[in-house]
Amino acid sequence: MDITLNEDQALIAETAKSFAQSALTPARIRELEETENGFDAGVWREMAQMGWAGAPFPDAFGGSGFGLFELSLIVEALGQGAIPSPIYSSVVEGGMLLLEAGSEAQKKAWLPRIAAGEGLLTTAITEPAGGLAPGQIRTEIARAGNGFAINGTKLFVRDAGAAEAMICLGRSGLRPEDLTLLLVPGDAPGVARRRLKAAGGEALWEVTFSNVRLGADALVGEAGGAWPHVAQLLLRGAAMKSAELVGIGQASLDLTLSYAKTRVQFARPIGSFQGVQHHMANVYRDLWLCRLLAWQANARLASGKPAGREVAMAKAKAGECMPALTRIAHQVHGAIAYYRDYPLELYYHRAIAAQSAYGDAGHHRRALARLLREDLGRFRGEDPHELPVHHV
Amino acid sequence: MDLEPTAEEAAFRAEVRAFLKREVTPEVWAAHRDLGEQGMWSPDFTKAFRRKLGAAGYIGMGWPAQYGGGGRSRIFQAIFWDEMEYFRAPGLDRSITYVPNALMAFGTEQQKAMLLPRIIKGELSWFVGYSEAEAGSDLANMKTRAVADGDDFVITGQKMFSSDAHMADYGWVAARTDPSGPKHKGISLFIVDMRSPGVKITKYPTLAGWTHHAVYFDQVRVPRSMLVGTQDEGWKVVMGAIDFERAALSSPGLVGYQFDRLLAWCSKDRDGADRPIDDPLVQDELARLAIEAEGARLMSYWLASLHARGLMPQHETSLALLVKREVSRRMDISGLDLLGPHAPLRAGSPHAQLDGEVEVEYRDHLYFQFAAGGFDITRNVVAQRGLGLPR
Repeated sequence: MDITLNEDQALIAETAKSFAQSALTPARIRELEETENGFDAGVWREMAQMGWAGAPFPDAFGGSGFGLFELSLIVEALGQGAIPSPIYSSVVEGGMLLLEAGSEAQKKAWLPRIAAGEGLLTTAITEPAGGLAPGQIRTEIARAGNGFAINGTKLFVRDAGAAEAMICLGRSGLRPEDLTLLLVPGDAPGVARRRLKAAGGEALWEVTFSNVRLGADALVGEAGGAWPHVAQLLLRGAAMKSAELVGIGQASLDLTLSYAKTRVQFARPIGSFQGVQHHMANVYRDLWLCRLLAWQANARLASGKPAGREVAMAKAKAGECMPALTRIAHQVHGAIAYYRDYPLELYYHRAIAAQSAYGDAGHHRRALARLLREDLGRFRGEDPHELPVHHV
Repeated sequence: MDLEPTAEEAAFRAEVRAFLKREVTPEVWAAHRDLGEQGMWSPDFTKAFRRKLGAAGYIGMGWPAQYGGGGRSRIFQAIFWDEMEYFRAPGLDRSITYVPNALMAFGTEQQKAMLLPRIIKGELSWFVGYSEAEAGSDLANMKTRAVADGDDFVITGQKMFSSDAHMADYGWVAARTDPSGPKHKGISLFIVDMRSPGVKITKYPTLAGWTHHAVYFDQVRVPRSMLVGTQDEGWKVVMGAIDFERAALSSPGLVGYQFDRLLAWCSKDRDGADRPIDDPLVQDELARLAIEAEGARLMSYWLASLHARGLMPQHETSLALLVKREVSRRMDISGLDLLGPHAPLRAGSPHAQLDGEVEVEYRDHLYFQFAAGGFDITRNVVAQRGLGLPR
């Protein structure tokens, strides 16, 4: 057991952090929030050149062979720098989904282009009802000729404006998990998009599919076999958002510490007041707890073992604690950070966007509660003691 | 980053568990607990158990080979502490954590030769004499005096909050040798034989039901050879091994036990009544507690990992202890909540649940909030030493 970053991992984290600190100015980040695509294509190309867009792909598909854990370190650094990018849509979602469920031809066609930062792929999973359970997917996928037809509406689709294609989840049968994935070109007739205005730095879209016709080769994985892959995608997204939230928390803490050390009131730096010090100690405690839980969740996912428990714990904790951290950060700053030109506001928005993505804290505690009822062993961890029943 | 135990670590954990299951049976539990004097285990049982820990090689497992130790990494020590706490086993205290480490760091060769072979066998019990009536969080404010007199020092004063002093063979006692300088200077550290003339122990009942002690030193003569480290520079000794003590105290075994006990109770089938675990609010609370317990566990092994890599975590140790104790308090409070109308029933009462342990611990663990660095003092330490905020 070794709960520290090894040298390679520490180097990746350092590199990612220094890139993310300097890639974009706060003013440019704010400007990007107002654009349709939401990210800087040049910055994304640079990230791809460093191997980040192909981080978890095998060499054969243009990947850099870092692995998911290393990707989470990069995502944490991007969170800390508030750098918008299609890393979720194209890598965590679309790319990894194709890697796990796609055919050789699909992987060959897409993964090297994603890794190079040329092709951009996203996924369309969630619907207006908002839930993440399979039974809540209503978009219909029907057989049509030799292929398929899609009808329905998807919400919170990342980077739908910039993506060349999206992998759409739809219902192909009556049972809750009769779900199928189809690869849909962005310009297919019948696809319509509306940009959502959302807090945080991601470009989120509503995408409507009106009798969108696709050939048989659009199928990703097996017809009716989508859910295990989608469930894994949601876990992966939640684990990455846990890491991003840690980056958001770290940036908020760093800003607040440097302010508290230099802001003088009552003839003393405000950081010398115990009221401020106790706030800072508490948020530092929460930040480390969230970081350790996020490390565990992502390492567990990277190992290929069941990770539901570890991811739920990480996302539930970070989803609650990191937005709270940004509120404390604002409290210590006072009025100065209420103005848009002070960078803390970037993190205030991003924290609530990240906590709601791939399941909020309540969603993940409910997942733990399901383990509690259905799989007590997993709920209690890998190496549980026998319950101390002689006291009960 | 490797969160899985190695085969060797897993085997060691299994070995420690087997040892503890054999030694801390429900029968032993029933026969040797002494909630009056000791809060937990009787002094005799604690001493006998410590010898067993010594015989099994657990006390010196992390010591360097030159002192007869096993040189095991901090991961193994953390596993040992974790399982000891989970099984609520006695003997894991300053006598085998703080004192031998401080002795190895600061003691003379003569002191080490005299004491370490007995400590490693589990033969010695210690009390640590730091706190006084006027020296609590402000420890350097201590007033107990040690005056040089020929080959001896003569100690006079009073130590308060002296855990386990009544069963101690030796005291690890800080006293002021130079009252003229600034308060962190002029303190020296002594090993005091508790059988020395002039040592007197008095008892104070705590609100948890067990007994705590104060130790009076009235012209107690201590040979100069029992001075630890340099005269007047005892503050270094006081602080020097404190991180090791905090690391041991930050073990997550207790919170794991508290959680599992609540979970078992909530899951138990009840005649004609719903199980608490079927209530969504209870599920939510258990999910929250599970996350907190996991956080405390990870933090403790993170610390062990830093040590195992040869790094010297400082404020991280204080942070880990704060987290473990805050989580433990959370378990106490949620425990009472989950027990509902049975919450106030005390140990031994008809209808008491879980042997009344939850109510006892709710009182007992109050000391977590002030002992060995109180919660708020620890926040100051983390803010100032960890985050660099000004004093």
